[in-house]
Amino acid sequence: MANPKELDKRRKSIRNMRRITRTMELIATARFKKAMDRASAATAYTERITQLVSDLTKAGLEVSHPLLEQREQTENAKLLVLTGNRGFCGGFNGNLLRAGMSRWNDLTSSIPHVGAEASGKKGIAGFGFQGIELEEQFTQFEDKPTFDEVEVIANRYLEDYLAGKLDRLDVVYMKFNSIARQSVAVETLLPLGSLQVATEDEEEASSSDTIYEFLPSPASILEEVVPTSFKVKLFKCFLDSAVSEQVARMVAMKAATDNAGDLIKELSMRYNRARQGRITSELMDLVGGVEALK
Amino acid sequence: MRHIAGTHFYISNPKIENSMATATKNIGHITQIIGSTFDVEFEEDQLPAIFNALKIVSEHKGVKINLTGEVQQQLGGGRVRCVALGSTDGLIRGQECVDTGGPITVPVGEATLGRVFNVTGDPVDGRGEVKTEERWAIHRSAPPLETLSTKTELFETGIKVIDLLTPFVRGGKAGLFGGAGLGKTVILTELIARIASAHGGYSVFAGVGERTREGTDLWLEMQEAKIGDTGRSVIDQTCMVFGQMNEPPGARLRVALSALTMAEYFRDKTGADTLLFVDNIFRFSQAGSEVSALLGRMPSAVGYQPTLASEMGALQERIASTDKGAITSVQAVYVPADDPTDPAPATAFGQLDAFLYLERSISEKGIYPAVDPLASSSRILDPQYVGDRHFNCARRVQTILQRYRELQDIIAILGVDELPEEDRQVVHRARRIERFLSQPFLVAEVFTGKPGEITSLEDTIRSFEEICDGKWDHLPEDAFMYVGAIEQAEEQWKKSQEK
Repeated sequence: MANPKELDKRRKSIRNMRRITRTMELIATARFKKAMDRASAATAYTERITQLVSDLTKAGLEVSHPLLEQREQTENAKLLVLTGNRGFCGGFNGNLLRAGMSRWNDLTSSIPHVGAEASGKKGIAGFGFQGIELEEQFTQFEDKPTFDEVEVIANRYLEDYLAGKLDRLDVVYMKFNSIARQSVAVETLLPLGSLQVATEDEEEASSSDTIYEFLPSPASILEEVVPTSFKVKLFKCFLDSAVSEQVARMVAMKAATDNAGDLIKELSMRYNRARQGRITSELMDLVGGVEALK
Repeated sequence: MRHIAGTHFYISNPKIENSMATATKNIGHITQIIGSTFDVEFEEDQLPAIFNALKIVSEHKGVKINLTGEVQQQLGGGRVRCVALGSTDGLIRGQECVDTGGPITVPVGEATLGRVFNVTGDPVDGRGEVKTEERWAIHRSAPPLETLSTKTELFETGIKVIDLLTPFVRGGKAGLFGGAGLGKTVILTELIARIASAHGGYSVFAGVGERTREGTDLWLEMQEAKIGDTGRSVIDQTCMVFGQMNEPPGARLRVALSALTMAEYFRDKTGADTLLFVDNIFRFSQAGSEVSALLGRMPSAVGYQPTLASEMGALQERIASTDKGAITSVQAVYVPADDPTDPAPATAFGQLDAFLYLERSISEKGIYPAVDPLASSSRILDPQYVGDRHFNCARRVQTILQRYRELQDIIAILGVDELPEEDRQVVHRARRIERFLSQPFLVAEVFTGKPGEITSLEDTIRSFEEICDGKWDHLPEDAFMYVGAIEQAEEQWKKSQEK
């Protein structure tokens, strides 16, 4: 029989935990809605841009842009892992880190110079624990990443890429499929070779009859559009990650609140039983003593 | 023959009456029978001393009675109150009762080896009389303090969890605490199989208030088990004393003393290292509580006898090692309702050098021996006795397990993913250590399907050090179940991979 006082203390602390997790669930729900709106707003823009690029390629032009070219030799690669700044979101950070680590191991085994960058305190700590030094780390992205902030990072990558200091960029993030489903995605954003392939099928139906007139020339437009498309894609990764984090937190906190409830129920039962047992044995001592004195 | 006024003679068999009456015996008559206690009236100047044995031998209406009682109290007016060491069924008031003039005695010496006795020292294995030169009284005083041995030496058992976390002391006392069905008797039997078969001295087994079947099993097992490669059975070096569940409380109250007396003889006269196994010391306290109220004592906490601590102390103090010889004892202690604060196990706690606490939550995971690595401890788990390496290794293991236990509520609520990397690693290793503390037993081969493992202390320490260092993090948890040294875990894992 356990000590009722101790059980009560434990129950109290779990009650406090439940209060916190419930609050966090509510906060996550509110934040999720906002992040969701932002993500869906950006989705429209991203789709339009990719459509534009694919239309350009369909205009019968020879598409040539350094960002689209596959390099013969990959000397310098970079891995960007997008995690959250905070925990309490179930397996969100853990899954991202695990995927990031396996990609890291793949890259380092085949490419001579690999650098790692991470966004989010959890990712930074995770890499630190594994003893991998990060070249850059960002903690400024919360649930509302702005395009301006992402653009700074994107520009740096573009510069490095064009200067030949970077041949490949991999991004690990949590792809937001639906509220019920988010999956870890590991994508190669640079070189942008995957651009056409990914969009070809769906564009066929919707925009096959759209006729564009390019002014001053498709090439100059391409010059503008391709880097933007990369930036938008990277931005989308950040947005998806932010939404997924909130969803993950919502789900995790809901589960935690439920678990805490179960635990409290069980502890209450044990507490009541222990308390009752104590009262009974004290009564028996008293009665026994009285009987013996008769 | 003395005439006792005012007594009625109910005894119909004149033969018995005569046989008792012929010698100059001190004869009293029963005046009251309450459960397993009875009162006897003697001449005021012939009052038997406390702890004297009284014998009642009679046959009344075809009911044969051969009962020994022990004087517990002198009530005044020539009356004494006794505890019966057998059934009081068929006793009648006025029956004659002979004072034997001394406490109960049991045969001691080499002749007792290989035999099975009851509380009064009569053989119960059906192999005829035991001829010994001496009989010793079961009530003796504890060895004086200047003769006590101060040697402290580790006693290796080959069981990982015991050797690492609760090392036994040679010539010391170890206790196995546990609720119902956690495997106390199995561990005790295992220790007999391990220690007694590798041990040159004598062993004494006291079965106190446990199942008779287990006693029989043990007896048969000891006949099969051989000591090392000498070709002799363990039983040839062992004597067993039983006062099991079916016996009245008086017998269960005294049987531990009977066994202890035999062990003391080996210690004092032969100087040999003697092992004393007691299963189960709680039944001794329980029997004391059963007779306590009948003796008219006021019950104390939780209904136990007020003399609980002194009874336990009187018994435990005698289980000691002296400069003549050592008694190493292992005692099982039942913990009622899994509550270690219950007065009976609590009084036993303090008497022991090493105690193993068996935990239900561990046995529920299927990990046997279900020793709780944090609640169990040993006096000699100290760098002074076991050395720095052993001590540090044990402390590391305990720290990891302690941290894991602290995290358990968080894991239950938030899940293991929520933990920081360091803690996740602690959990990872703790779960492996937890499983690695299991071990296949020699006597439990039928349950685990694996032959028993005897792991040397060196292997044990090295294995745990390597787990703590993270050398075996890659093995799955299942690989750590029921193996000896760590290499076997790796083997087990490889085997399961092949399948």
